[in-house]
Amino acid sequence: MNYNGGNTTGFASPAGDNLEGRIDLAAMLDLSRPSRYPVRVAGDALASRGIFAGDILIADAASPPAHGKVAVVMLNGTVLVGQLAYRQQQWWLASGTQGTAPVAVTGDDAEIWAVVTGLIRTQV
Amino acid sequence: MPVFGLIDGNSFYCSAERAFAPELRGIPLVVLSNNDGCAIARTAEAKALGIKMGEPWHLALRRPACKQVEWRSSNYPLYGDMSRRMYEVLAARVPQVEPYSIDEMFLDLTGLPDLENFCRRLRDDVRRLAKIPTCVGIGPTKTIAKLANRIAKDDFSLRGVCDLRDPATRANCYAQSPLSMVWGIGGKTAEKLNKLGITSIADFVRLAPEQVRELLTVTGARVQAELRGQSCIPLTLMPPPRQAIAVTRSFGRLITSWDELREAVAAFATRAAEKLRVDGLQAGHLSVFAHTNPHNGDAWYSASRAAQIEPTADTLALITEAVRLLRAVWRPNFRYFKAGIMLGDLAPAQQQSGLFNTRDAVKSARAMAALDAVNARFGSGTLRPAATGMIKTWAGRQARHSPRYTTSAEEMLVAQAF
Repeated sequence: MNYNGGNTTGFASPAGDNLEGRIDLAAMLDLSRPSRYPVRVAGDALASRGIFAGDILIADAASPPAHGKVAVVMLNGTVLVGQLAYRQQQWWLASGTQGTAPVAVTGDDAEIWAVVTGLIRTQV
Repeated sequence: MPVFGLIDGNSFYCSAERAFAPELRGIPLVVLSNNDGCAIARTAEAKALGIKMGEPWHLALRRPACKQVEWRSSNYPLYGDMSRRMYEVLAARVPQVEPYSIDEMFLDLTGLPDLENFCRRLRDDVRRLAKIPTCVGIGPTKTIAKLANRIAKDDFSLRGVCDLRDPATRANCYAQSPLSMVWGIGGKTAEKLNKLGITSIADFVRLAPEQVRELLTVTGARVQAELRGQSCIPLTLMPPPRQAIAVTRSFGRLITSWDELREAVAAFATRAAEKLRVDGLQAGHLSVFAHTNPHNGDAWYSASRAAQIEPTADTLALITEAVRLLRAVWRPNFRYFKAGIMLGDLAPAQQQSGLFNTRDAVKSARAMAALDAVNARFGSGTLRPAATGMIKTWAGRQARHSPRYTTSAEEMLVAQAF
């Protein structure tokens, strides 16, 4: 039988009128929204932001880009994830690695694709 | 007066590929049909190279200009999900949306102010959120909205939105546009009318409605009324009930053995049964066909068999019936190129066992529910009848299948940390 904490056979369950659904992580992360995309991280360059290789990011194309936010960016034919910076009236991708210069997110082949709003790590 | 919109994804399958693959942007790209046979979606760059819709890809590749064209096998799990995203972005902004096909949706725009700007914002939102570039046509009927969409696609100066609500604008456009551009006027019909000197849309609209009815029956008369601005086709918010279910495939390589053909047909029956159960239907009629390749010089052989069956949606029962019919279709010493099955006499599934039924409907429904639940949870094909084969040697070629970015946890978009 499919026992849920309420449907006991002998003594009526005191919890019967107070059962709730289990926590639904997919609903919490709102993954069914049409603007949300899961994105897998490659590389550890964002370790200083607490983002590691293999992490799953929830990227939301509806979330407005802002200085300091982490975003998925399409730049010169590659897919990058990094920290946004707004300087000199334009967007930059700041590197998580010390000593690496930021790159400008400009030109035909540059797009802030989605802003990262959450993170899932299945192995800690 | 009602106002309709038609929004349509530009080269939808190619755009879905490009959404996740920036290296495919700005270069010629085509998506091929099942089995990597024909070009079924082309970017503007690919169209400029003269690649035609439905052109066999192995023939296109003989032209030097086409060697530089990138191509992908069709990735329907991805396209289906991107279509769902496009629909949801629209449904949150427009009172009513009809998903007419995977890449085009009719909109009810009645009573919305400043429509042109509204539609521009709609395009921007679909592009930004669902990652699909689109064009929008606006008109007082569905047929006019569809025509306006076509014009928006062809004329870049319109920047993706064409409004044909104004009768004067419309008259101007009708005079310049061939009749074949109209939704509902097929090639043959246009040819027939051309012979009578009716070549432009304006020519057609001018005809007396009685004459149109005589020439093209009531369907043609309805097209004419719609072009005249009289709305006859309302939004459809529910898909029509299915009349039949077909699962057919051409094979990745020619099939010569009975076992392989049987496995393929068993797999088709499995898929058809799944479709039945999704819609809560059962089938009372089944037909099976197989044929050789008409184009490769092989001896032509084509056969089909059909039968009434005890109504069912049971995978195993349908496999048994399909294989029974296939035995009569099968002739040795042919190289089979394509096969398929068709289910008819569809009716709502009943769990009641009839007096003369040989199967236990309740038991079957339980078994199928369990089968579907396992496949829904662990991925389609996790649990399948052994009759469908362990190694699908007959499966179509899908040489360049892109990742199922949004539907498979193993294949999501990968971003390099910077």
